[in-house]
Amino acid sequence: MADVLGVFGQAVLLAVVRLRDEAYGRAILKEVQARLERDVAPGEVHATLERLEAKGLLTSRLGSGTPVRAGRARRYYRLQPAGIRALNDARAAAETMWRGVAWPLPVRRSC
Amino acid sequence: MSRAEMPPGWAESLLRLVLKENDRETVSGDLLEEYRETIVPRRGRRSSHLWYIRQTAGFVLRAVWPWALLFSGQFLARTAYDWAVPTHDYHVRAEFSTEFGVTTLLVTALWMSWRSGSVVAGTLMTAIASQLAAIVSVSGASLMLALWPDPAGHLRQAIAESGGIEEVYLLPFMMIVPALIIGTVGGAIGSLSRRLLRFGS
Repeated sequence: MADVLGVFGQAVLLAVVRLRDEAYGRAILKEVQARLERDVAPGEVHATLERLEAKGLLTSRLGSGTPVRAGRARRYYRLQPAGIRALNDARAAAETMWRGVAWPLPVRRSC
Repeated sequence: MSRAEMPPGWAESLLRLVLKENDRETVSGDLLEEYRETIVPRRGRRSSHLWYIRQTAGFVLRAVWPWALLFSGQFLARTAYDWAVPTHDYHVRAEFSTEFGVTTLLVTALWMSWRSGSVVAGTLMTAIASQLAAIVSVSGASLMLALWPDPAGHLRQAIAESGGIEEVYLLPFMMIVPALIIGTVGGAIGSLSRRLLRFGS
């Protein structure tokens, strides 16, 4: 299982899955912030989208702008088969690692 | 109300300079949308300006940090070498590190102007990279000075013979001058090459 996605990469790809046809930069940012329950910098999301697209996990197309963004175009992202495989691998890796371990772990001073 | 709000013009120009040509509209649009729809209503105008400046600084840092690290790494390596292995003739070392430094600055400018299609991006980002490198270099040199054992005074002598402590602390910041010149030359070459290639294809 080579090159398993990191947590942030998974959060971005899953945001694209959830947003379907509305998966553009700011919508992905909001979705990732909501799921990770923390403030996320737009630049962090943009850098991750760029990296995932370069790896062939996503593709993008330009859409039209809106007045609130001064007419500037939106870039919409779509998951590719390689992206679906990467998400499946990430989930499988997590399940394999956790197999046989009760969750949540009891909090003690040391294990 | 928030629809008409605009972030600081200089920060928006800087953001657009550092972005790839293909991302300029989409990413600056995403940031403007977030600024107007979420940040201004929640934080007010002044704090929103700071938010936008911080986001822009993040984009700039992401673009220049590898070059800044390369530049400062070379400076620190030369400093450490001069302190550890003193010599009577620093000419060859100076020539090598100058050539390496010029090449690093030139490649930085070429890369920045190539990705953005702008000469100014080459100049500005190379200058920013050189000053970030200066901060890292001076911090690294201070750390070396603090940790380097020197009971016999050899280090003090090596520092004095290799240009003095002023050179360690001032030279990295003075690199802004060659960075601006080389950045402009590299920026012009990078931007022109991009246009020629696009015209050719």
